[in-house]
This record gives sequence, C-alpha cells and structure tokens, in this order.
Amino acid sequence: MARKVGIVGAAVTPFRGKWYEKTYYELAQMATREALKDAAISVKDVDAVVYGIYNDIFERTCIPEHPLQGVIGMQNKPGIRVTNGGATGAYAMSAAHAYVAAERYNVALVLGVEKATDCFDFTSMSATPEVIKVIGWSGDSFFEQKIGWTASDSYAEVVLAYMDEYPGDLKPEVTAQVSARLSQQVKTNPYAQRQFDQVTPEEVMHSRYIVYPFKELEICVYGEGAAAVIIAEEETAKAISRNNGKPVVWITGVGEANEISFAGKNQNHWGRIMSHHVAAQKAYQMAGIKDPLEEIDVVELHDAFIHQLEISMAEMGFVPLGRADTLVEEGIMMPGGKLSVNPSGGLLYCGHAVGASNIMSAWSCRNEIINKGYRRGLVHGTGSTLAQYGVVLILEHE
Amino acid sequence: MKSPEKVIPFEFIPDKEGRIITINSENYLLMNDAFYTFYERSIGEFSPFFLAIKNEKRVLGCKCTKCGIIRVPPFVTHCPFCDFAPTELIEVEQVGKMLSTPPITYFASALFLDKAPFGRGRVILNGANTALSAMLYTTTGILVPGLIQKGTEVKVIFRDRRIGEITDIFCVPTAELTPEQIAKKGLQESELNWAAPKEPEFPKATADDIAIYKQSLKEMQALAGEMSKSKRARKAIEGWKRDIAVKTKAGEFAMFIDDGDFRIEEKKIASPDFVMACEDPRTLLDGLKYNGAITDSVILKKLWISKNIEFNTVFKLDRLARFLAREKKEQATR
Repeated sequence: MARKVGIVGAAVTPFRGKWYEKTYYELAQMATREALKDAAISVKDVDAVVYGIYNDIFERTCIPEHPLQGVIGMQNKPGIRVTNGGATGAYAMSAAHAYVAAERYNVALVLGVEKATDCFDFTSMSATPEVIKVIGWSGDSFFEQKIGWTASDSYAEVVLAYMDEYPGDLKPEVTAQVSARLSQQVKTNPYAQRQFDQVTPEEVMHSRYIVYPFKELEICVYGEGAAAVIIAEEETAKAISRNNGKPVVWITGVGEANEISFAGKNQNHWGRIMSHHVAAQKAYQMAGIKDPLEEIDVVELHDAFIHQLEISMAEMGFVPLGRADTLVEEGIMMPGGKLSVNPSGGLLYCGHAVGASNIMSAWSCRNEIINKGYRRGLVHGTGSTLAQYGVVLILEHE
Repeated sequence: MKSPEKVIPFEFIPDKEGRIITINSENYLLMNDAFYTFYERSIGEFSPFFLAIKNEKRVLGCKCTKCGIIRVPPFVTHCPFCDFAPTELIEVEQVGKMLSTPPITYFASALFLDKAPFGRGRVILNGANTALSAMLYTTTGILVPGLIQKGTEVKVIFRDRRIGEITDIFCVPTAELTPEQIAKKGLQESELNWAAPKEPEFPKATADDIAIYKQSLKEMQALAGEMSKSKRARKAIEGWKRDIAVKTKAGEFAMFIDDGDFRIEEKKIASPDFVMACEDPRTLLDGLKYNGAITDSVILKKLWISKNIEFNTVFKLDRLARFLAREKKEQATR
C-alpha cells in the first residue's frame, strides 16, 4: 500500500520576461530557500531532489541539474532530473510523489527552473523568434522540424481539428473573454510576469495573429523563473505542519498519459486531447472523484493556449466536449461561478518558465486551498507535440 | 560562382563580444554566445523515402504485412500494432486530402522568418492511411485562413533543387492547378504559376480622402513622438533600422525606425527598405493606436507589403503599439 504524501512547503521566484541579474543557479537557490522557509525545515531534512528542467538549450548546457546539487546543498543525496516538454514540472512532482509514496524517501524537494529568454535572435534583434526556434528543436527531427514545426503550430493543429469536429465551440469572443478573465485574476499574484497587464476582450480580439487561430493575447508568454514544492510522507508531513502551523495539502490523485504523434487511421485520436482525458480519469480514480465539477473547487491548468485551456477543461470532464464555451457562457469560471480556474493568472499572465510552470501552478493551488478554505484542487500539465503529454494531480485539504 | 549554402546562415552569427546592462545602479554582463553542434547525420531506415523524393520524385509509405495499414511517411520497419510484424515499402499517390484544417504561421521562428506566412498540416495521400506532415502554400499570394481546410484536396509539389530533406516537397491546393498538372507525377515548383507581388493601385483621392489623410498623418506623427519617448515602446524596435515608404490613396509618407527612434515624415524616399500600401491611412493609424493589429491588416489584404520577410517589421510595429498602450495602462493602474 502506497504511503500518503502531502505538500508541506512551496515557493516561487518572481517570473520575468528576462532575469538579467540572476543565472538559473541563483533562481534555483532562491526558490529552494523560500520553500524551505515556508516549510520551516532545513535542507538537511530533505532526503532527495527531483529537478524539473525542460530544455538543455535554454540553460546552454546538457546536464543542467548537476551544478544545482551543490548550489542547493544536497551533497551526496539522490537527485534526478525530469524533462517532459511543457509537462516537465507536473511529471517531476509525479515522480517525487512516487518515490515518497513507495517509502524510498520521507521528504523530497521538487525544484523547477528555466531560463528561456537568454536565447536571442540577432537578425531580428529580439528573443522570441530564437525561443520559438529552440522549442522548435523539440519537433520530430526527420519530418517536421525543417518544415517549421513549432509548439504553437502543433497545438494549433489539435485545436483546429477539434474545431473541425465542433465548429460552434471556441468562439473568438469566448476565448477573448477567458484571456481577459485571467488577466484580471493575475492582479493578486505579485510573482507574475504580467501582473499589471489587464486586457479587455476587445483587446484580445484585436491582438495580432501569431499562428492561426491563436492571437497574441491567447498564448502563454515565455519567461524565466523557478518554483519549488516540498513533499513529505504522512507522519513527517504532520510533524512539519505542527511546527510551521500550515495545513498539509495532500496529493490524493496522480495520473499521466502520453499520446502518440502520428495522425490518421488508428493513430492519435485527432480532434481530441486524449492524454488529458486519460490522465484526469486516472487521477480521479485514485482520489475517488466521480463528478469533477461538483467535487473540485480550484483548477490550476497549464494554459499554453486559451483554446487548449477550454478543450482540456472538457477533456477533464468539467464541461462537455463541443460545449467548452459554457465555461464562460454559463459562468462556470467567471466571477461567482462554480470553479476557480487559474487564480494565478495561468501561464498566460504569470508566465511560462517551462520547468517551473506546473510547480508554480501547484504552489498557487496549495495557496488557494489553504487561504480560501477550498477542499480540493486540480493541477494540470501539458506538453510535447500535439499536446501529447498530460498530467493531472489532485490536491486536497482534509 | 555562388558559394554553397551553409548549415548556419552567416547572418545569424553574432560578433564575439558582450555588453553591460545597468539595473538599479548595478552592472550586469550580457555575453553573445552560441551553442552549436555539427552533424553528419544518419538517415538510416528513412533513406529510401528521402532518396525517392530527391532522385525519383516519388513518395513512399510502408505497408504492414499483417494488418495492411499504410503509413506515410514510412515511420516504422515493423508494425507496433501487430506485435511488430514487418512492413514493406510501397509508393503512394501525390494527391490527397487534408486530415484537418491546418494552422498558418505568421510569426515564425528565427529560422523561418523568411518563409512565413506558411501553413503546415496533415495530408492523407491517396493510397495511405496515415497523414504526412507537409508545408502548405498557395500560388495566389499570402495564405489566409479558409483557403485550405479539412478535406481540401492538395498536391505534392517537388522543389526544383532537392537535397534529400523533407523540405524538398510541399503542397498546394489542387484547385489552383490545371487538370494536367494534377495528373502529372513529380510536378515541380517552377511549373506552377506563382502570383508575383504587385503593388495595388488606388482610385483618385477625393477632398474628403485628403482631409482624412492629413488628419491621420497628424495623429500618427503624434503617436510616433510618444513611442520614441516611451522606454518600453523603444524596446520593441531596439537595434532595428528600416526606412519604409507608405503609399495611400491621398498621399505618400515615410516611416523611419532607427534603434528605438520612430519618426513619421511627409516625404517620398528614393530607396526604402520596403513599401507599404493601404488605400485608407486609418488602417495603419488604427494599428499604431493599438486598435487592431497591422499584421491582421496584411493578412486581410487591407495593407500590402512589398516583401513578405518584412512581416518581421510589421510585428515590431504591432509590438510598438502594444508596448505604448501597456505602458499607459500601467501608469494608470499603479
């Protein structure tokens, strides 16, 4: 029988468009220091670390975690790195959970960091085309990279295939409202990259196309930062909680799935994001959830793109497929609605420091549970070509 | 003699130097750098597929000897659905249908800035069961949403110069081809009738048009002044230099982008970096006011640019407008 595992500490650094003053070493240490402070424990109490770092090219080194072992004071302790595209942070938390649940370690640190925007394109004198290029190296290298594969166009493929199936859903005025809503929510997140960038639905609709059908204000912004959570097995977690006065937020469900990237007969279920569906079902089963909309209070979802946010919410069972717009039209995620979705502002407004992003989501979800008295929250991660990877974690306060 | 194309184009390579940036009176270093590796890459089991494209202008797939599924491209030598039964290479047709509506990339990565806008989507070639990921173009100008959709019939076109890479082929809608072209195997890009960029001609301006032009120009000049003063907006055009001739129905003016400075003057420039043409100057004014994107005006054919690669500059103008709007908003919020 697996042991019960809970979050006892968490922290994030500010997410920024670019951290000129810090390298990823220092960002990683900042998040670690703050998470330990939050848990009120010493690094000596931590048995193992799981690093979430997505892309070697961003960090400009091929084993980016090795210097961190010394920087965060984990000499002669186990450390593994997880790299799973956009879902890196969520998979890192899942791996750490498994280690602790399986009695390998009692206390583990999950540390996500990314320094994405050091990449710079000297022909256009801007970072973004180079950042997109680096992520573009993640596409299939024989058949797709050289014909312009990007994260955006591959997610757009999935979204457009969904829109072929459900032409009445994901209406531009609705995606615009979702983005505007997230921009309001980010106001209370002092760590966010775009804390003061409130936009109206009209502004979203007027923003330029980046990759059809995505407009600029419907896409997450790449950034830099770090995030950390500390997890512990039941007895240790309770002891830490007695000491720091913060309730343990238990991880009661975890699910993951990776789709295949081929399309056509018997291949990837085109027009669906099955990985998010399967991951959610696994996590719900583990946590004993039957009706997610009734039983979950807060969702921190990996919103790489607003359209994908809507589809993912449908795949996870909060709204029917083909009627994802009800999130807005029936007020589900609007003020006074049944669900709080991305109170952190999401990756659109808090920023997407890839390896750190899902861990930031868990940090926010835990804060919401503790501060707002919610019972259950869901943390979601997506990544790789065609939204191939899906991870769902259920956080719970007894 | 033209030197051969390099795997890293020379213009991408920065000088070996650094610079200092000062934040809160502290100096921080930024160093130009690169993280590069060269390969002599094994194409292995995919060699027959790429060689068939390069040398014979044929498209190959693989057929499972057990379930019969035909995969294009031939991703697997053994079928993962059939406990790894062997597959055999077979040729498929060069016409097929879009599996779904393809995305169109307007803002491309550094490597594709000169190729945007382009579509990339999945094509089920006749005779195949799985989809080939292909670059999509139209011969009619800029690719706009709606032109290629789920089910649109397209044809594989071969580049004139082929090197054995997936870029040797792309697709265009068969609706833009003659029946002979559709039927021809190994149709090449030079056999297509590509529309040449043609500067639009405008009707004669009325007195009203002239008044609108004068007013719009005045407003744009005022905005340009604000942009040049805004720290954030200046960042949008940092290190960028372009002289742009703008032609409208009622008059011509020039926009100068120069490393953070943005000026608009009513004059004709002899050798601009590129030309913008829009019948109504308010199209551009709206863009600079952050009331609708200039990029979208190009896509919707309300604004014409003489060089597609200057989408790059158009993005910077959109960003300039957004940054100024954002700075004003933040000042109001704080």
